[in-house]
Amino acid sequence: MTYQLQHHIRVSANQHGITSRRDFLRAVGIAGAAVGATSWTDALSLAADDLRKRQKACILLWMEGGPSQMETFSPKPDHKNGGATKAIATNVSGIHIAENLPKVAQVMDEIALIRSMTSKEGSHPRASFYMHHGYLPMGGVKFPTLGANVVHQIGNAACELPSFVRIGKGRSSGNAGFLGVDYDPLVLQSATRPPSNTKPATSEDRYLRRLRLLQGIESSFAAAEGIDLVADHRKLLDNASQMILSPKMEAFDIAREPVKMRDAYGQTSFGSSCLMARRLVERGVTFVEVNLGGWDTHNDNFSRVKTLTGSIDQPMAQLLLDLRQRGMLDNTLVIWMGEFGRTPTINARSGRDHYPKAFNVALAGGGVRGGQVIGKTDAGGAQVTDRPVQVKDLFRSIYTTLGIDPDHENRSHIGRPIRLVDEGEVVEELFG
Amino acid sequence: MRQYGWIMAGLLIVVATPRLAAKPNVDRVARQIDKLLAEELFDDTTELAPKTNDATYLRRVWLDLVGDIPSPEHTTAFLLDPATDKRERVVRRLLAHPQFGQNWARYWRDVILSRKLEDWAVLVSNALVTMLTDDFNSGKPWDLVAEKFITSLGDVRENGATAIMMAQEGRTEESTAEFSRIFLGIQIQCAQCHDHPYDRWKREQFHELAAFFPRIGVRPVKSVMRRSFAVIANDRPDRGKKSNKANRRGEAEHYMPDLDNPAARGTRMQPQFFLTSAQLPWGTPDAERRGTIAHWFTESEWFATAYVNRMWAELIGEGFYEPVDDMGPDRTPSAPKVVGYLSKEFARSGFDPKWLFRVICLTEAYQRECRPRRLPDATPFTANIAQRLRGDQLFSSLLTTLELEENKIQSMVSGVPKGKFRGRGTPRMVFHLAFGFDPSVPRETITGSIPQSLAMMNTPQINAAISAGSRRRPTTLGQLLDTIEDDDMLTCELYLRALCREPTEEERNYVAAYAKSIDDRAEVYEDLLWTLINSSEYVHRK
Repeated sequence: MTYQLQHHIRVSANQHGITSRRDFLRAVGIAGAAVGATSWTDALSLAADDLRKRQKACILLWMEGGPSQMETFSPKPDHKNGGATKAIATNVSGIHIAENLPKVAQVMDEIALIRSMTSKEGSHPRASFYMHHGYLPMGGVKFPTLGANVVHQIGNAACELPSFVRIGKGRSSGNAGFLGVDYDPLVLQSATRPPSNTKPATSEDRYLRRLRLLQGIESSFAAAEGIDLVADHRKLLDNASQMILSPKMEAFDIAREPVKMRDAYGQTSFGSSCLMARRLVERGVTFVEVNLGGWDTHNDNFSRVKTLTGSIDQPMAQLLLDLRQRGMLDNTLVIWMGEFGRTPTINARSGRDHYPKAFNVALAGGGVRGGQVIGKTDAGGAQVTDRPVQVKDLFRSIYTTLGIDPDHENRSHIGRPIRLVDEGEVVEELFG
Repeated sequence: MRQYGWIMAGLLIVVATPRLAAKPNVDRVARQIDKLLAEELFDDTTELAPKTNDATYLRRVWLDLVGDIPSPEHTTAFLLDPATDKRERVVRRLLAHPQFGQNWARYWRDVILSRKLEDWAVLVSNALVTMLTDDFNSGKPWDLVAEKFITSLGDVRENGATAIMMAQEGRTEESTAEFSRIFLGIQIQCAQCHDHPYDRWKREQFHELAAFFPRIGVRPVKSVMRRSFAVIANDRPDRGKKSNKANRRGEAEHYMPDLDNPAARGTRMQPQFFLTSAQLPWGTPDAERRGTIAHWFTESEWFATAYVNRMWAELIGEGFYEPVDDMGPDRTPSAPKVVGYLSKEFARSGFDPKWLFRVICLTEAYQRECRPRRLPDATPFTANIAQRLRGDQLFSSLLTTLELEENKIQSMVSGVPKGKFRGRGTPRMVFHLAFGFDPSVPRETITGSIPQSLAMMNTPQINAAISAGSRRRPTTLGQLLDTIEDDDMLTCELYLRALCREPTEEERNYVAAYAKSIDDRAEVYEDLLWTLINSSEYVHRK
């Protein structure tokens, strides 16, 4: 049956630092039927060999709508396609990016810039799905999103916070799919709104007592009609309870940061999100996705992008600096990307339309060698002329950077083996 | 009143329309569906889930038809009723209840507004729900409802039929895609940018369909008193150039963009319906364009099938076609004869939604117990499937369980952001923001979330309602504690209130043992009520 299969996947693969979760579950009396054959202690013993991977984390800065490469990382000041956007020097000699990102230019030495991303997907839903899952949507298979796959592989279950947090809701950005609710993101509306309803209405003892009572109450529905539903529901309640009873909840409260630090990130929505991302990673969260919408600039591209770059420049630069200063950058991969780029030609409304043929992704930290550009486009930015990087290549590289085997096989609901990435080559230059 | 209606019906038949002719017999159609299902899908080895007991059936039809759970009184009366046709009778009674129309009006509001492009589309929400509530309650045929949506004009806060265009900001291509998706269950918009990889539709065909709708626009209503928008039609001649704000003003004709040259105006498209290739000439006025395509839509076999498939999926837990809004000639339904038959009969009923609900609720397929969602290669429809409650269903259930009055409560959840166009929002709206979902999305992908669990467990407002209250101002539970002295009886009462069934022997014992471990009686039953409301069974319709 589905539920047994799913459960097996979750337990056998979720092999990291179970201790804390187990203690919690013991407190509420785990003896219920919802737990499968593999005991938690077995799972715990499986954990040891993964210590190395454990500290790795990833922050995805998702630019929803498709950011213009010309006004961010690939200016074309000498071509009419480039519009009025100028290029500026960075702290790496020979690398120029758009004038809109002066602060990012000063941390270029940490960034590996791929200017030759290429794909065929030009519609928002499909392209967003592709850039989140490494697969195109396919009927019958519920692919897990990048963050879910990462926390499934290297999530730190010793952390009482959810391993995967998404700040700002994106479209077509996906969830845990067939990996199950354990790997779903905790979605926050924004960084200035920590999760709500996190105080139990009763004393902690009584709250735990109620959860224990609930376990017994569920057995009738779990007998046949809702076996799978009861198990999932239980996991959610456990994860939620574990989170709110944890002292680490303060991670969500960016007001605890010194004013100086908040100013350094900028007290804006995106700045606060980046700061929260760092706080979360610092406290053991494995994957944080920060959403920034508005990049679908079919009209008025130049002034709209200027506003957007204005809101990412300082926070993104500060995030890299801050991670570096705290010694976290080597273990934290930061990814900047959106679903596609924008047309090199400027349309009648001063806009740029969807363009998946040549676009940018920026990577930093996590062992990536910064201060380099990978790939090239022609003078007008229409064609990739050197080192094309496909979406599957990118996904392969991301997993590899995080110490995850891209060929790892999961089993979907129907028992079909699904590799994390089914094609492509690692972009070796990233590590060279 | 009813008699008068029948007389009117008789007259109308004589006058012209076959619409109100005798509808296909509900019993016969329900039996035929089960027969066809058995022929098409089942064999000797197929294990069918047993028929539900009465308590489960009652809660199921309540949630499905009126979006609420039965009170303990309703449940007890139903369980004690010896009549053999009580299931059929309760279905008819619920269909006659005003909450029926409201429940399905809210469902369609979610279908339409979940895909809204901008927040301000919620301005149409109240008018939409009011209109559909009346339409469903009065038994308005679904084809006439669809025609209203496709052909409407006017202020969106007064005419709910403008909702689809409002949600799509009057954009020609987006509105076209939604009309096709919602009423035909065909996602021809995938062909908008390129020929569809899996379907037969070509890019031209999508834009030919869009050519029925270029003249619509959604424009702000100029008023200092109130903020609103209106759907307008623009029948002025072609201005000969590309407009930035075509969605506000409307354009004389639709142009298919040139993908290689987005700045150019593109190719002028003649209105043509992709299913039949029927055409209208260029220059046709808006009213005729939309009136004609509305008619062609509702005449199409896919129109009946789209509604039948969606409702079947809601009530049985799985559609013949999945996802429910992605059908069409290139998809294979899981039981072709059944869906074909039921769609035809639905059309013969005069597209009567109540008729369809009566049929489905009487089938054996509907009345089976729930089982976990099947694996793709297992036989479909061997059981019903438990479904997560929609936001409105869950909200109404909480009101019923806790005996709260909707217009007297404060918001039940906190921490939901206020939308710019929502103002403070009613408690129901706020709750819906936290628990609602897009009903067109495959239901198995809708899972609970940590914020939802936290809201149910910890919201002060819900917990206050769950508590026994003070001596002077006892809550519902407080009163029950006073009036029911026997612990076992009280346990039963709370089970009836929350889960609409009696506890099993095992559950009684379990609760009794729990009670023994705690010396405060009020605390015990507060804990039990909290637990029942936070159970998986509570948030699902099984």
